[in-house]
Amino acid sequence: MIKKIICFLLICALVLPLEGCWSRRELNELAIVLAAGVDSAPNNKILLTVQIARPSAFGGGGGGQKMAAAQENNVWVISQTGESVFDAQRYLEAKVSRELYWGHTVILVFGEQLARNGIRKAINYFSRSPNTRETIWVLVTRGKAADVLNSHSQLETTSAQSIGNMARAGVGVPVMLKDLSIMLASKGTNPVLPRIELTPSGKPQGPGMQENIPEARGSQQQATLTHAEPTTTGTGVFKDDRLVGWLDMSETRGLLWLKDKMEKGEITIPSPRESGKNISINIIRGNTSVEPFYDGQNVWFDVRMQMDGALLEQQSTEDLTDPRIFASIEKELNRRIEEKARSALEKAQLTYEVDIFGFGEAFHRKYKKEWAVLKDRWNEVFAGADVNIAVQARIRRTGLTTNRISKER
Amino acid sequence: MLEKGKIGGRQAVYLNVTMIVATALLGAPALMAAQARQDAWLSSLLATLLGIPLALLTVKLSSLYPGKTLIEYLEEIIGRWPGKVLGLLYLFYFIHITSIMIREYGGFLVDALMPQTPLIVFNITVVAISAYTIKLGLEVLARAHQFFFPWIVFSLALTFLLATPQVDLTRLLPVFESGAVPILKGSLTPTAWHGEIIAFAMIIPFLAKPDQARSIALYSIGYVGVIFFFLVIGSLATFGPGIASMNYPVLNEIRLISITKIIDRMEPFIVAIWVTGGLMKVAFFYYVIVLGSAQWLKLRDYRPLALPLGAILVALSIAVAENTMQTFDFIAHVWPLYALTAFEMGFPVVLLAIALARKKGESALD
Amino acid sequence: MGIYFRKRKRPRPIGVSEKTSPPDGNHNSADNTSESLLLSTDIEENLQYLQAIFENCSDVVYREFLLAQQEQIKLALIYTDGLTDKSQVSEQIMRALALEMSMATDSTEITRANALHYVKMRGLCIHQIQESQRLEDVVDAVLSGDTVLLVDGHATALINGNRGWESRSIEDSKTEIVVRGPRESFVETLRTNTSMLRRKIKNPNLKIETLQLGQVTKTDIAVAYIKGIVNEGLVSEVKKRLGRINIDGVLESGYIEELIKDNPMSVFPTISHTDRPDRVAANLLEGRVAILVDGTPVALTAPYLFIEAIQTPEDYYEQSFFASGVRVLRIASLFLALTLPSLYVAIISFHQEMLPTPLLLSIAAQREAVPFPVFVEAFIMEVAFEIIRETGIRLPRPVGQAVSIVAALIIGEAAVQAGLVAGATIIVVALTAMASFTVYYSGSIALRLLRFPLMFLAAFLGLFGLISGLIIMVVHLASLRSFGVPYLAPVAPIITEDLKDSAVRAPWWAMDKRPHLIGQNNPRREAPGLKPHPPRERKR
Repeated sequence: MIKKIICFLLICALVLPLEGCWSRRELNELAIVLAAGVDSAPNNKILLTVQIARPSAFGGGGGGQKMAAAQENNVWVISQTGESVFDAQRYLEAKVSRELYWGHTVILVFGEQLARNGIRKAINYFSRSPNTRETIWVLVTRGKAADVLNSHSQLETTSAQSIGNMARAGVGVPVMLKDLSIMLASKGTNPVLPRIELTPSGKPQGPGMQENIPEARGSQQQATLTHAEPTTTGTGVFKDDRLVGWLDMSETRGLLWLKDKMEKGEITIPSPRESGKNISINIIRGNTSVEPFYDGQNVWFDVRMQMDGALLEQQSTEDLTDPRIFASIEKELNRRIEEKARSALEKAQLTYEVDIFGFGEAFHRKYKKEWAVLKDRWNEVFAGADVNIAVQARIRRTGLTTNRISKER
Repeated sequence: MLEKGKIGGRQAVYLNVTMIVATALLGAPALMAAQARQDAWLSSLLATLLGIPLALLTVKLSSLYPGKTLIEYLEEIIGRWPGKVLGLLYLFYFIHITSIMIREYGGFLVDALMPQTPLIVFNITVVAISAYTIKLGLEVLARAHQFFFPWIVFSLALTFLLATPQVDLTRLLPVFESGAVPILKGSLTPTAWHGEIIAFAMIIPFLAKPDQARSIALYSIGYVGVIFFFLVIGSLATFGPGIASMNYPVLNEIRLISITKIIDRMEPFIVAIWVTGGLMKVAFFYYVIVLGSAQWLKLRDYRPLALPLGAILVALSIAVAENTMQTFDFIAHVWPLYALTAFEMGFPVVLLAIALARKKGESALD
Repeated sequence: MGIYFRKRKRPRPIGVSEKTSPPDGNHNSADNTSESLLLSTDIEENLQYLQAIFENCSDVVYREFLLAQQEQIKLALIYTDGLTDKSQVSEQIMRALALEMSMATDSTEITRANALHYVKMRGLCIHQIQESQRLEDVVDAVLSGDTVLLVDGHATALINGNRGWESRSIEDSKTEIVVRGPRESFVETLRTNTSMLRRKIKNPNLKIETLQLGQVTKTDIAVAYIKGIVNEGLVSEVKKRLGRINIDGVLESGYIEELIKDNPMSVFPTISHTDRPDRVAANLLEGRVAILVDGTPVALTAPYLFIEAIQTPEDYYEQSFFASGVRVLRIASLFLALTLPSLYVAIISFHQEMLPTPLLLSIAAQREAVPFPVFVEAFIMEVAFEIIRETGIRLPRPVGQAVSIVAALIIGEAAVQAGLVAGATIIVVALTAMASFTVYYSGSIALRLLRFPLMFLAAFLGLFGLISGLIIMVVHLASLRSFGVPYLAPVAPIITEDLKDSAVRAPWWAMDKRPHLIGQNNPRREAPGLKPHPPRERKR
């Protein structure tokens, strides 16, 4: 027995020195990367920008939270060129005193130039490495990704978390890394990514909150006195892995309708009786079904949309208890939704000639034999396809009042 | 008798289920999807159907020689020396698949949990813990395993439930696109996994009620089938046929789980629970090897063999493959053929035929 | 405490005096050769003998006096001062014999020959009298607190059972506290303890067998069980294991526990101990055996299963839904007490991705200034807490309060303020500490010990290390047995019937069977169908 115990202790003693060499990472030896941006650089290189959290600026440690955390810059944004993402990361470690830690990366932003050249070469590291997660939100920006990362949020501790929260809340067309991988892998659809930009939003709230926004970047690289908040401004449309164009916010709504991703949102329609006045409806539930048809030559789609909504704002004064008026509002709503869907559809079919709605997937499910023939030229087929849209919108509720209270004198 | 413990029916079912599922669950959906793409779930069902006759075969053989393990009745069926040779082959087979298992298991831990840690650390730890377990006997193994089993099942169920927000069943469509052959091909590896139930033949004599063996085997296959089915459906409906290029699709599925911000990033927990299952699987096969070797050598106690055989297993687990890709390639393409044709189906069928003929002959003589 | 101590130490001088004064050379061991030694008829000789044995025992009192009627008959009382009821000695023995017997006797002449008989039958007003001719019995009796009466001319001693010593009164249980349920706890006197049991179980089938252990201390041990419920094999196994004990002294039940444990090398207790009579009674009713030891308020019960760590007597008194909820809480606490520090170490130093981002940033901020790796930090804090806990137990009560405040201030506030320790670590340590108190004390000792190796494993291999440690622990637990009963029952092996009293506590009308593996001798403890229901309506 004694012998056994001695043996055991000996083994432990031998193993002890090895401890710490392996996967152990102390928290204060890590540089927590909250956001990553990839831009293209000359000579076919890439420019990797990372936003690293500076825990010492978060308060704590010395007891008691520093309330004015925003006063001090709590992130560090740094860029590095390299042959590949991993290569650039390696070079970065020569500048950053700690090991870069990707487990909590919230967003990945592609710069416009890189996106136009193709994102495949930049994305692999993020989906292969076990450190990064598939739940990273992927975005594209007009201009350079490095600029987007070099920003602050007025509300959240870092702009990365702010953008992440927006994506989680479903603003624009949020895309996770795993969704992007699926979209890239599929021939029946093409990727879309939400577009993020810095837009001027008032005065900076503290000395650390001044940014270089693209508009202000003139003669010198100097901080302006305008605060810029990262904003979702639309959608980037890709053909396979190359950015081909943009959709604005209104077209993005149409895209969401057609992708059956409409979860919440608002639609404003002109009042049927009083011109110049509007009615706003909150979308409670949206549902889209796409049915493809193929007769050997032509492909067409029947798209049926259903919507339940709640009327939440009425500038006009018509009597909502009147069924006819109600019906006309719903009709207007149908028209409006179809219009939005059409605008996105037209952009995709006519301007960019790519299927970004997953219609190809629907086709594949129904015509699995024909798909084998059509799949390699699907974007062409899609561009020439007819799409019939039928919308059925219903207003289920009118908030807490029926008619305007102010109308009753 | 080398083993004095007795195990209950329920414990045996649990052991069998873990013995098949534990390591298979890591890569199974990918291996099936590589052949059958979105029809992989059909492959999984097919494999379970094919597994049933294999289970029945195992039980039937054992029922002809009550109180005897596989290694013991081999000699009775085909004579002393041929029996010894075949017994040795079976032991080699068990050692081989166990070392692959250990390799797979360690590799998974390196990939999923601790990328910087050398593989051998995990392999040694696993074998050491298993050695400790089997030194305490089959009863303790079964009991400890019974303690963990609900957690393993619970973690799998939880994974499946929490991942539902990501699930899109249309990813399973269109059905039967690639035809019957890829589905059949896709089912080969899972069938071989189901066929691992041949190891059950080594513990049938230690059941408290040996006549339950048949229903135990069938229940085991049934549970395994259900678990496989849900694993495949879950990862397919989350990622589509793209899982074919993933090493551990179920792990990727868990990594996506994010219910509000709280139930988020919980894969190390679930991985940790699987680790228990994998360890129990290794321990079970290790036990089978040690017990079988002791019976083959006609020793009075199997415990002295535990450490030497453990050392062999560790060494083999490192040597058996160069990298993860090789391991998976072997499991996907080579192993099913040699396992099914010889050890899991081929030999048992021949043995059963001889045994039945012999029994008939004996009864005719009486 | 003082009384307790004195009483335990009292018999010690025997062992010492034996060496110095063997009256006739062969009296060298307390229990062997003297069995042939008999009293003589000469009272002087007997007294000399005893005085030799009790040499230097200043607490042994010899009192010689004469019988009231027959003045030539000499009597002698020998007793230990402090162990006997002195008023009884003077009132019921001396007064009765030296004064009152003269009034009470009839015409019969008291002679030297019938003196013993008269003294016993007519003189002594003592409820329990034993006769003995053996010197050894006399010595034992004196040391146990009985009063020995020697009558001149008779080789027989009268042993009067008038023990009575200063002892603690029955008080509230200090270690297992309940809100609802009996308050009383065992005391240091064996008889009082058995009487408490007897008062709870008024049944002749409650058997209390006594034996003596400890060659020097001669401690009384009682083995209690309920015949008809207990498994006879268990009783004989307990007696067999007790029988092989050969030790100089038994000062506490812990001596016995370690000497009869199934697995001596395990940190897990396989024998339960309690100072609550109701707990012992409940255990007896389930078919267990209790071992009570004189001189300690702590009784042992066996077999003890792991599940009992989360059972308290109150669970059975409080309503079942609440009790079940508390049980779940205790299981969670048990798990926390065992794994929380190691989980913390594993997550913070290996699996940072498990934390939500804001939490990670906040912990990172706290840890920014901490100079130690998280394992060292947590380890130091755990050790510090163990020190505080030990201090809290050992410190004189008035000082304890002050010290605990200082400790809380220094460790809690100052360490965080100074940036030596992260606030999160303090929270983890504090939670662990609180959690470990919710489970059964002996069980928590094992958890306290195992927490450290688990932390080490977690620092070494992360969650995998932690899980490996837990697996080894469960395998070890699965291999344990307590008097033949698998330690992890009813979970592994699973016993569906017994799960009613595990993570949940079913209402009493549903728990109609005793624990399967312990009470299988007499499985049913209540009539079936006792669930209360409103009177059924009669059909007309």
